[in-house]
Amino acid sequence: MKVELKVNGAPRSVDVEADTPLLWVLREELGLTGTKFGCGIAQCGACTVHLNGTALRSCVMPASAAAGTDITTIEGLAATPQARLQSAWIAEQVSQCGYCQSGMLMAAAALLKAMPKPSDKDIDDAITNLCRCGTYPRVKRAIKRAAGLLPSSTSS
Amino acid sequence: MTLKQDGVGLSRRDFLITSTAVAGGFVLGITRHADAAIPQPMSAMPQEAGNALRTGAVALTDWVRITRDDVVTLVVSQAEMGQGISTTLPAILADELGADWSRVRLELAPTAAAYQNPRIRWQFTGNSESSQAFFDHLRHVGAAARTMLVSAAASKLGAPVAELSAEGGRVIHKASGRSLSFGELAEDASRLPVAERPSLRPDVELQLIGRSLPRVDQVAKANGTALFGIDYIPPGLSGVLFAAVRTAPSYGGKARAVKNLGEVKSMRGVVDVIILATSVAVVAPKYWQAKAALAVADIDFEAGPDTKLDSASIRKHYLDKMANGPVKVARDVKPESTQAAASGFEATYELGFQAHATLEPMNALAHVTAEGVDVWAPTQGQDLARYTLAAVLQRKPEDVRVSRSPFLGGGFGRRLLPDFIVDAAQLSRAVGKPVKVIWSREEDMRRDYFRPATLHRLQAQIDAKGQVIGVTQRLVSPTILKPVFPPLDLSNGIDPSALEGTLHTRYRVPAWRTEFHLLETPVPTSVYRTTGFGPTIFGLESFIDELAHRAKVDPLDYRRRLLAQDARALRVLAEIEKRSGWSRKLPGAGHGRGRGVAFTDAFGTVLAQVVEVTVTGSKVKVDRIVTVADPGRILDPKIVDAGLEGGAIWALSSVVKGEITFDRGGPVQTNFHEYDLLRLREAPKFETYLLESTGSAMGGIGEVGPVATVPALANALFAATGKRLRTFPLARSGLALA
Repeated sequence: MKVELKVNGAPRSVDVEADTPLLWVLREELGLTGTKFGCGIAQCGACTVHLNGTALRSCVMPASAAAGTDITTIEGLAATPQARLQSAWIAEQVSQCGYCQSGMLMAAAALLKAMPKPSDKDIDDAITNLCRCGTYPRVKRAIKRAAGLLPSSTSS
Repeated sequence: MTLKQDGVGLSRRDFLITSTAVAGGFVLGITRHADAAIPQPMSAMPQEAGNALRTGAVALTDWVRITRDDVVTLVVSQAEMGQGISTTLPAILADELGADWSRVRLELAPTAAAYQNPRIRWQFTGNSESSQAFFDHLRHVGAAARTMLVSAAASKLGAPVAELSAEGGRVIHKASGRSLSFGELAEDASRLPVAERPSLRPDVELQLIGRSLPRVDQVAKANGTALFGIDYIPPGLSGVLFAAVRTAPSYGGKARAVKNLGEVKSMRGVVDVIILATSVAVVAPKYWQAKAALAVADIDFEAGPDTKLDSASIRKHYLDKMANGPVKVARDVKPESTQAAASGFEATYELGFQAHATLEPMNALAHVTAEGVDVWAPTQGQDLARYTLAAVLQRKPEDVRVSRSPFLGGGFGRRLLPDFIVDAAQLSRAVGKPVKVIWSREEDMRRDYFRPATLHRLQAQIDAKGQVIGVTQRLVSPTILKPVFPPLDLSNGIDPSALEGTLHTRYRVPAWRTEFHLLETPVPTSVYRTTGFGPTIFGLESFIDELAHRAKVDPLDYRRRLLAQDARALRVLAEIEKRSGWSRKLPGAGHGRGRGVAFTDAFGTVLAQVVEVTVTGSKVKVDRIVTVADPGRILDPKIVDAGLEGGAIWALSSVVKGEITFDRGGPVQTNFHEYDLLRLREAPKFETYLLESTGSAMGGIGEVGPVATVPALANALFAATGKRLRTFPLARSGLALA
């Protein structure tokens, strides 16, 4: 079936089976490979994108259900107010293998959108993505840096 | 196969042949494989792939090419899987060369002899040895190229070589204030003989080595442009099909037929359904189509030969071999005069099977044609893949080209194995098109070569004064090394990787005996970050802690006594004592709170770690991990720090979360809902301190990070609760993370 999507601000039309997960529509129909496949059952968060600004695991979201929403992927993050997360990620050298980091960044972006100054507990509760390399302490630090919560001496 | 990249593939080959003729032996060995090399800058400028070649690069060595517009292209031989090697190794080259780091471009190495690990002449990334093995080599290569540029400048400027220096991408004659850029010199330099014994820069001249550099992979990994194996299709390769695959549930099982073949074939997009020996694959233009069609396939699997295999029978097998052997004596050191032991102590330590669970599932793209076999894959093991494919497809190894995708979504040893690449090649051969196979998480977990379960018994002989005069240990483990190094002869019953950590110790113990039983099991097992060191140091460092408590000596002091006169080890212990606040009493110590220490020398790095825990009822919280590491020489402190921290989290996942169990002849867990990893909210606070030992050989970093964490945790749990955990994961003791 034909599905009309709005991805990173642009209208996109795809012809797929209605139950094709949004993840695979993004990757295979639209060439947006920054969103990753990790588990297919919404456990790891590598496929996290935003639907109307809310973080969501695209591997279990049928494309048809995403029609009419505003979809933002890692490729569109730079055009949002949360783009400062990406500079924080680079400054803190968060990524190791990097495979989980698109999803991690999108989860962090949704958090900062909802809570511009998150507490440690807010971060703990919001970031449930898996990272096999163990970048969690740096993920936390980068979120705090982007939120302006690090002492200025270390955030410059 | 020739890639149809306009002007790139052919001109490159022509150029290399030419430059081989003019520049001496240094570029030999690359020409045949040049077509398979897909230039892929690793970092911020992917749009400029191949640019260096189009504008006429001059090769000074296999590793260094320079264009007239002063762009220096350096070859990255090792797989970037998170360890930062794509920053560290090129920085060594650039530093010796005197290149302007900001104008350096990076390119992935093709399969070629020049990029083999120089220690063992084998192209792979693993064993924590990329920096160790390539450091001297790349310094010499960089110095050789610099020497050629300086010689060329000496002729052009009419100045003596001794008055010239290479820095910032120029050769400078300070006395006259004149200089020439590398681009201006490259062509002349390439006609000079390669300097065979170039002099290395003195350490004071080094600008990059030893400093924390901005990692070259960070931008692409923060904006989604980093290409992993699952994303990567080389430019010019069209008509790629995708495959989903499902393997028989029991080991040794076979795929006989698809009962509803017509239904599966009628699903949208399905090009073919292929039965391989043990699995069924569906091939389609889109991966999701293949996966969706495979999901409805009703497959007739023939059960493997041992459907009674389960975790209980496997454990019984381990216990039987521990009790009854037979064992091989892997090491037996005896003092000249043996004392009689006044007392003894014995304990046995046990760990479960663990899956690698790289976040990027196994995948590979292969194109098998009459001319040859081309593979693009997220692999750590290029040479093993090449020889394996040659054997499986009955082709000559030189007709098999294995190229790495720019990035690997984790490796940890799993991607040394060629099995997923074989899948892709077999499917490509079957359909006659390029095929990219992507394993589902379920396939990835079930087909893992697991970190083997281990059973490790230690016995101490203690004299009348309470001194340990001997340690006898017995280890039961399946092979680790054989699957990644098939030439290994196991007929003598010795697997050197499984035995790591048991053969040598820095502790001064006069008698040291290691017995080993190489367990035969249908469960595939192989290298997993820490290889043998992880399991055996868990045993040894728990045991040392137990001996300390029995002797009523502080566990850190006890280790210090065993390491007397070992200045390097004592310095690490002194630092961990200071940094962890070891001598200050932990509030609540012994009443649910505790700290434990462990020490190791693994992969050439000396490391001590302190773990602090809080136990409330059956709930465990890991509060803090302090690490002191001395890897000899440190190339990039921030990368080392990140690797050690990530390593400790890796170790925690393996003991505070799940394990792989077996039932009805196969593995049980299939995905993260059954095999979870540590999550962000469960990560402790970290402090990491680095020491250098001038004069010591460089140690590895990739795998030492997790080695001490498990025993330090076990020792902390004992300090907190008085209960000794000799088996992990935690759930085996009725405990769980808070």
